[in-house]
Amino acid sequence: MKEVELDCLGEACPIPLVKAENKLKEMEIGDVLIVQIDHSCAMKNVPEWARKEGHNVEIEEIDDGEWEIIIEKVK
Amino acid sequence: MDEQKSTGIQRSSTHTRRTRKKKKNQLPFGIAVVLLAVMFGILLGHKNPGMPIFWITGLAFGYILQRSRFCFTASMRDPFLTGSTSLTRTVLTAFAITTIGFAAIKYGAYVKGLPIPGQSYVVPVSLATAAGAFMFGVGMVIAGGCASGTLMRVGEGFSMQIISLFFFIVGSLWGAHDFGWWKLNVILKGKAIFLPDIFGWIGAVIIQLLIIALLWIAADKWENRKNLA
Repeated sequence: MKEVELDCLGEACPIPLVKAENKLKEMEIGDVLIVQIDHSCAMKNVPEWARKEGHNVEIEEIDDGEWEIIIEKVK
Repeated sequence: MDEQKSTGIQRSSTHTRRTRKKKKNQLPFGIAVVLLAVMFGILLGHKNPGMPIFWITGLAFGYILQRSRFCFTASMRDPFLTGSTSLTRTVLTAFAITTIGFAAIKYGAYVKGLPIPGQSYVVPVSLATAAGAFMFGVGMVIAGGCASGTLMRVGEGFSMQIISLFFFIVGSLWGAHDFGWWKLNVILKGKAIFLPDIFGWIGAVIIQLLIIALLWIAADKWENRKNLA
């Protein structure tokens, strides 16, 4: 099981999502992707997209206005 | 939404318990901001009794926009980017509610024989409207937010969008500077349409709600179609 961190701090809305999409494509099933974001909009659309794709998703607020979205690739 | 369901993702031990910065207690700042907002409201009230209402609705709008992660940009962009239309349908629902609200306000004034408020916003519609809307759409996706979204995120402290805000102001000033020319040569070539003039008050509301409902169903279908694929 691999764990990959994706630094999207300071990136505006669609970019974290696109980056996460591309990164997750290269990863194996069971791997975990951690997307770090500080744009509140990405807080909504990244988890929503990942859940719709059927992955396991957790959100953690690591600081005021800074989040980590933890995505486990399941398929 | 399965928000509550804990998935219990296993994370490697090195990462899970990273030392965290202790969060600052924001409560004193919150109280200070509320006090300042109230004081500013009272100050505005002395200048003009109508102003505090604008102040309160503005603050309420911003608060709801921020807490709900509402985003007009995402509502138009996500259907293409991710196939998600939840925000699209949210915006359509909001339009449906405001349709009824605005119709009620306008009709209320109309039956009392008062001048209908907000009629100066009934402006000519033409291909220029569609062209402008398209350009605005491209701009807001690149800038990461429409006007209200940019303002809200600058308030959140997202520094990159201060650049968006700066050029948003520059663009608005430029637009305002040349607006006379555009109005004379392009906008006035179109025709202003006020739906109640054509369909009657009830008809206008029904037709508008019907169009919104059709768009809502189309958005719902779009989301599920993507899910099956």
